[in-house]
Amino acid sequence: MIILDSVTKKFGAFAAVDNVSYSIQKGETFALLGPNGAGKTTIVRMLLDFIKPSSGSITINGRPASDPESRRHIGYVAEQHMIPPYLSGFEYLSRHASLIGLSGNDAAKEVDRVLKIVAMKEPQRKKSATYSRGMQQRIGLGAALLGQPSLLILDEPITGLDPIGIREVRKILENLHGKGVTVILNSHLLSEVEKTCETAAILYKGKILIKDTITSIVKDHETLEDVFVRYIEHENE
Amino acid sequence: MNNVIKIMIYTMRDQMRHKSFYVLLGLSILFILMIRGCYDGGYTVNGKMVDTATVAWHVSKIVFHLIAAGMFLMVSMLSMKIFSRDHGDGSTVLFLSRSVFRWQYVLGRVTGTWALCLVFMFILHLTIFLTVWVKTGTVISGYLTASLVCSINLLFVIACVCFLSLFMPDFISALFTMGILFVGFISDGGYQIINSDIVRSAVPSSTNWGPALWRVVYPKVFMLQAYADAIISRSEFHNMGPVHPLLNLSLFILLIMILMLVCFNRKEIG
Repeated sequence: MIILDSVTKKFGAFAAVDNVSYSIQKGETFALLGPNGAGKTTIVRMLLDFIKPSSGSITINGRPASDPESRRHIGYVAEQHMIPPYLSGFEYLSRHASLIGLSGNDAAKEVDRVLKIVAMKEPQRKKSATYSRGMQQRIGLGAALLGQPSLLILDEPITGLDPIGIREVRKILENLHGKGVTVILNSHLLSEVEKTCETAAILYKGKILIKDTITSIVKDHETLEDVFVRYIEHENE
Repeated sequence: MNNVIKIMIYTMRDQMRHKSFYVLLGLSILFILMIRGCYDGGYTVNGKMVDTATVAWHVSKIVFHLIAAGMFLMVSMLSMKIFSRDHGDGSTVLFLSRSVFRWQYVLGRVTGTWALCLVFMFILHLTIFLTVWVKTGTVISGYLTASLVCSINLLFVIACVCFLSLFMPDFISALFTMGILFVGFISDGGYQIINSDIVRSAVPSSTNWGPALWRVVYPKVFMLQAYADAIISRSEFHNMGPVHPLLNLSLFILLIMILMLVCFNRKEIG
């Protein structure tokens, strides 16, 4: 379970996240929505302790986010997932496997397993400098899936993927949902969010406008996109 | 396996993938090949033949310091980009998105670079040691011990460059560290000259004034080099102040590492 309690993050005088509180239950597939600069990525970075909140607290499965142990079972895909150019996809995944405590055959098997999931078998031995954006994103997703994580944090995971890749990611998320994995998804692709997530929060200028189940947010004859635009326009008035 | 050791091993592998490492490796091999000739010929000074072993001993001592000086440049080059490169290529996120403490990451990166450079320098010194042994039959006892002693200097340089690179551009941090070394070279070098047997016998009152406090507490990189020299020469070591350079540098390294960990802990990632 993830709890954000009155979390504020300020960069100088600017509040990127302003007194945000919410909780995400185990097994929930949760979407963080909002226009650019709303504070979505800042929240993700705070969950991973890449940046510290100015005030408030974040707890992941009973541990503060500042405790590295809280990340033991977290898989993370960054918005623009970067792989050191001198590493091959296989080496990159092997490092992740080693850091989550896998070694030898277990690590090799696990790397093979995720490479099959993200449909990347052939170019895995080439240096990542030769990878396309979509390939880097797939390897990033593979790294996040290593070791059966209980929480997956995906920051714009389908950016750079082709339609087939997007469908594969959707399948992966559906599969994980079936296994009780908690997923936090940051995305601009609202149609995808509508298909894959159960709950969502709309964030604007660092504040949460609404957090509810997708079915409650989206009224009859509306799409999530309509609701999103309605909320943002209302705030802009 | 502990995260620090894992990151240390990754660091050694990563550093060996960079072009600058191979450039320095090539230059080192070239240097070793060039100085091999010094051990071959006979030498005449003022019409008298000089013992080959004596020449070999003196040449080896000079080469010892040249290798150490070259290593200062090498460690500066290898360590100045550690954090910025990791930030740019996603390595920081790779490590810190897992259950790795920030101090483990920093310590792993620093010690990994140090271990690589230590081995590199030791191999170069070992090559000289073996060359002298094979060519002249002389075993320079203390040569390899001195090499290990000097490796503390490398750790100081790496820690200093890495720490400064958190606040200033990479190249400036390396340059700044070289500046610190240069000031120490002037201060400690002057002290060593004043305390040398020649100056002491020529000007007996030359050592009457003690050095200023800042010179005593300044990082004793050059003094440690002088200590290593004394190990090779089996001569008396003239220390400046009551604190041995090994302890002086160890304290500085500890202080810099603590400051670096505190600063890196506050750094925003991603």
